[in-house]
Amino acid sequence: MKRNIARCLLAVAGLVAPILPASGARAQDDVVARGEYVAIASDCGACHTVPGGAPFAGGLAFHLPTGTLYAPNITPDPKAGIGQYSEAEFARALQKGIRRDGSSLYPAMPYPSYARMTDEDMHALYVYFMRGVKPVATPIVQDGMTWPLSMRWPLTIWRWLFAPDPQAVRQAMAARQFPDPLVARGSYLVEGPGHCGACHTPRAITMQEKALTAQDGPLYLSGGDAVDGWRPVSLRGEDRTGLGRWSEQDITRFLATGRMPLGAAFGGMTDAIGHGTQHMSDEDRLAIARYLKTLSPTAHTVAGGWTYDPAASQALHAGDVSARGARLYVDSCAACHRTDGHGYPTTFPPLAGNPVVMDPVPDSLIRIVLEGNTLRATRQAPSAFVMPGFAARMDDGAVADTVTFIRAAWGNGAPGVTAADVGRVRRTLSPAHPPASLPMN
Amino acid sequence: MSTDARRLDPVDVVIVGGGWAGCIMAKEMTEAGRSVVVLERGSDRSTASDGAYPASIDELEGNFRYKLFQDLSKHTVTIRNNSRQVALPYRRMAAFLPGEGVGGAGLHWSGVHFRIPPDDLRLRTRVIEKYGAKFIPEGMNLQDYGVTYEELEPFFDRAEKVFGTSGEAYKVNGQVVGKGNVFSPSRSDHFPLPALKDVYTAHLFRKAATEAGFHPYSLPAANASRQYVNPYGAQMGPCNFCGYCSGYACYMYSKASPNVNILPVLRRHPLFELRAGCNVLKVELDSDGRRATGVTYADAEGNTVTQPAELVILSAFQFHNVRLMLLSGIGKPYDPARNEGVVGRNFVYQNVTTSTVWLDPKVETNQYVGTGGGGVAFDDFNSENFDHGPLGFVGGSPVWVNQAGVKAIAAAYSGGPPGTPRWGSAWKAGMIDTYRHSLRIDAHGTNMAYRDVYLDLDPTWKDAHGQPLLRMTFDWKDNDIRMNRYVVDKIGNVAKAMGARRVHLTSREFGKPFDTRQYQTTHLGGGAVMGTDPGTSALNRYLQSWDVHNVFVIGANAFPQGTGYNPTGMVAALAYWAAHHIRTTYLARPGPLAG
Amino acid sequence: MQGLAGAAACGTVLASSGRAGPVAASPYRPQFFDAAEWAFLVAACDRLIPADASGPGAVALDVPRFIDRQMDTPYAHGAQWYMNGPFMAGPDNLGYQLPYAPRELYRHGIAGMNAHAATRHGRPFAALSAALQDDLLRAAERGSLVFGDVPSATFFEQLLANVMEGAFSDPIHGGNTGMGGWAMLGFPGARADFMDWVDQYGVHYPLGSVSISGERA
Repeated sequence: MKRNIARCLLAVAGLVAPILPASGARAQDDVVARGEYVAIASDCGACHTVPGGAPFAGGLAFHLPTGTLYAPNITPDPKAGIGQYSEAEFARALQKGIRRDGSSLYPAMPYPSYARMTDEDMHALYVYFMRGVKPVATPIVQDGMTWPLSMRWPLTIWRWLFAPDPQAVRQAMAARQFPDPLVARGSYLVEGPGHCGACHTPRAITMQEKALTAQDGPLYLSGGDAVDGWRPVSLRGEDRTGLGRWSEQDITRFLATGRMPLGAAFGGMTDAIGHGTQHMSDEDRLAIARYLKTLSPTAHTVAGGWTYDPAASQALHAGDVSARGARLYVDSCAACHRTDGHGYPTTFPPLAGNPVVMDPVPDSLIRIVLEGNTLRATRQAPSAFVMPGFAARMDDGAVADTVTFIRAAWGNGAPGVTAADVGRVRRTLSPAHPPASLPMN
Repeated sequence: MSTDARRLDPVDVVIVGGGWAGCIMAKEMTEAGRSVVVLERGSDRSTASDGAYPASIDELEGNFRYKLFQDLSKHTVTIRNNSRQVALPYRRMAAFLPGEGVGGAGLHWSGVHFRIPPDDLRLRTRVIEKYGAKFIPEGMNLQDYGVTYEELEPFFDRAEKVFGTSGEAYKVNGQVVGKGNVFSPSRSDHFPLPALKDVYTAHLFRKAATEAGFHPYSLPAANASRQYVNPYGAQMGPCNFCGYCSGYACYMYSKASPNVNILPVLRRHPLFELRAGCNVLKVELDSDGRRATGVTYADAEGNTVTQPAELVILSAFQFHNVRLMLLSGIGKPYDPARNEGVVGRNFVYQNVTTSTVWLDPKVETNQYVGTGGGGVAFDDFNSENFDHGPLGFVGGSPVWVNQAGVKAIAAAYSGGPPGTPRWGSAWKAGMIDTYRHSLRIDAHGTNMAYRDVYLDLDPTWKDAHGQPLLRMTFDWKDNDIRMNRYVVDKIGNVAKAMGARRVHLTSREFGKPFDTRQYQTTHLGGGAVMGTDPGTSALNRYLQSWDVHNVFVIGANAFPQGTGYNPTGMVAALAYWAAHHIRTTYLARPGPLAG
Repeated sequence: MQGLAGAAACGTVLASSGRAGPVAASPYRPQFFDAAEWAFLVAACDRLIPADASGPGAVALDVPRFIDRQMDTPYAHGAQWYMNGPFMAGPDNLGYQLPYAPRELYRHGIAGMNAHAATRHGRPFAALSAALQDDLLRAAERGSLVFGDVPSATFFEQLLANVMEGAFSDPIHGGNTGMGGWAMLGFPGARADFMDWVDQYGVHYPLGSVSISGERA
């Protein structure tokens, strides 16, 4: 049995580039291509590229509870980037969190997940970064982290305590049983290069992910802390706040286009899709979807699944706007998201039954109302759609009322929010997006 | 000027203007594997910036400050009613509202999307067949397009699918399939989306028109009745009758525009490049003037640049296309005195009057609900659908209620019924009554071409680049006035059937010249018309210049005479038709396209 | 971009104050018009759209403020009009042919109106009775008055247009205060969504108006 699984895993590992002729120069080009694919699957660009900036030139700000960290330049430039890294140093950085100079990396760089990546994938990635990425000579200055966390040596202790050993985790993975090879592949991608848990798993006070794999328990992918102000939701089987009502097809479509009948991507997920999952193969997206569907709901799920309740829709349709926030909703939101909360899936996402709307922590919800967001174009869906921000149109009380309305309506049944909640989020807003980042359609 | 222009590397195709025609041509040429540069003199535009909600829901900016329209301070035209007058500059937006910026007027149009009636394409032939050649009034330059409805049908169909047009067909492949326009020609397929719902006034009009013995149908509208993904993969949202179509970018992404329906795909095509802020000054020709070598434009910084190209496509809008031909020496300018030359000949417009019907005060017409292309029409007096013999005029009008959403400032301008003061308390009461309890019915008719109605270059006024403005010599003719009055009279029957409390029928009046101060429509046509005779047309039936075979001129300039319908459906179909022949014939063997 | 700039400005104000709502009703101090011009403007607005049983008048709707603020926009500077010479007079139907932008039209026009008021009735326009003011406005509308090289009808049309705009445009531009213009008309404003109502024929629309800034009436 173990032999079969091993064979299966080998096959899985080979899925990315199944047939490569073993010739010299061609083989090298193929490694670069494979490395590019692995970089896509690992979504390096989402963190190491600023929108509109040169690929992998760094500079993206990470607003962590402890301050702001900037992703470094990982182009092959020898001074500003990683041009002087050897393959071993590169692997050490990615899988153990040790920088070339021996100091430790902040866990904002998801090396606990990358520890699971195979040697083949690591090699291809290194060759790609050294030969397939254009060098950019602009260094990134780290000046946003508050003291004492700006000192790196305590990170070494963190790493010892919480970063898994690459060899050990790969052996553990090889020993696991999976219902089918796609689930195995999906597990590798999500727990490894995809590092989805880096955002979607809660972190402890000491900043480590509370679970690194599905085997570590139901906290894995149960919903993360805010990343750059947006809160990643649970990817487990919860009916209301997770993927319980999503099908494999829904998930694969979301990963390919950022839109599907039950919701649309925003926040960091927009980048995870734009740089990563939209470029994956259909099989890999399916593998991820199938794996996610194996995850059971967390124990502290709100009792009872979501069922649509038409009461709010009927009231609004008849012009009854007496409920808290109802008039505000009709005045500002119903045009796109409709009085019945169904919206127009794939153009304007539904709010009825939307996990983000029902998330116990309403921060992402408040943020999108204040700031708006863009549903980006992908290869398969070339049209982008914009939700405007309402920070100028609504004060904190109005936002609180509106959000409370949608959290209660259509069977959503989630608790209301206060003006103070809104105020707290409003103070964290970044400057308005420059026009250049708005889609041109 | 070209002697000191900066000269760029050649491309296969350069396209002037980024509106509907330009974007369609760009898409088709890139699909044919050709490198394309689109030069657009206005700025780049998008729904996210120009149609942001709710900031863009601003009637003052959209309809009265002409935010998305052409900047007249840099480019305009001069207008006179006849050759004896001095043409004066059209200094303020009023009678027509041309577009500027990526998407052209397609970003802020209304959305009515028609196929031209087959008889309109060969009106001269039909009129002579039915009434004899003497029926054509003297001086009327009635001529056929040189292309038939049957030839264009696949391209009308293509355009509708790209635009996501909502409508109900009457005949598909010869079979009656629905309650569409009984006068419309058979189609090869249904509309891609079902017809929009009737707003209340359209509902009332439909009923009354039926009672009056006419044949109402839903206007075909490029305003999506549902979510839609077009053949290019571009996605539209559904229309929610917000009433902010005309003059605005649609925040719901429901109204077709080049920006929503073509550019998301085109922008990412490696062979495509869009340059905004580039005003094309002229087409450059070779030494014998028979072949274009490229175009010269002024860029956003004011530099003069020449872009060489194998193929030049003018799609800058009807009168800009004609002006560029005149400025570039493509084709012989029209001389109405000698009746020679073709560029500028057969300039036509549309003949639109709006009548108002007041209903019982218990009826709230909710005029703010609407969509640009939505409404109900009948064609009983359009094209050749009725017997003109006893009436003695050529042409006709569809009649419709097209409630595009009347907003507050427009209501204030309209005021009350005739005789009501235009301001003060009486005005206020009349305005409120009109706004709440009335509806408008348009006679949207033809304007026929005449020998003495034409376009040429103005001898006096210049644009911001020192080039002569285009001069329009235009006025209403008896034929058009009689047509309009006949049709408007029929509206009275409908109003009566509607149980009108009051009716004001507005007709064209004899002796009253064209007034540039009142908005008519932006459906201008002709001036560089298509045809089969180089002596009476500037373009052959493929919209190719008779004189310069690698210049194609796409737009309503191609219309040899007026049509009662809105032009964009025809412009798009002609663009696809021209592109088809460029792709299948011209690109393989450049030269004059025959037959 | 004037609209967006205006919205942004309002946004800033709103963000600071923490609450969307009408600007505090302290007397507005005009930026463009001098005292005499301002007096004319207020008086003329009051006659063009008087307060009555139908609803508020132009003054209550802050139309004068709207017009004053408009004078500092590209529109009022004539930036949108073809202002190249030569300027030749011609038939009215061929449209506006003067070398003046709206700001200059107001300067000339108001001076002319006040001059005619003084000549005919010995007092500036604002000091006249309502009936006399209406007479004078009608005369201007007919083109009977002379304002140098500005025909009175041209000025009148400019004024009337801007008054209508002020009474019925979004409050973000300074007029239509409290959305009173929209309310008396029954116009829902910047909600721009009638999907639920399009086929509820003849029904009275129950929701009031909402402005771009979210103000509700």
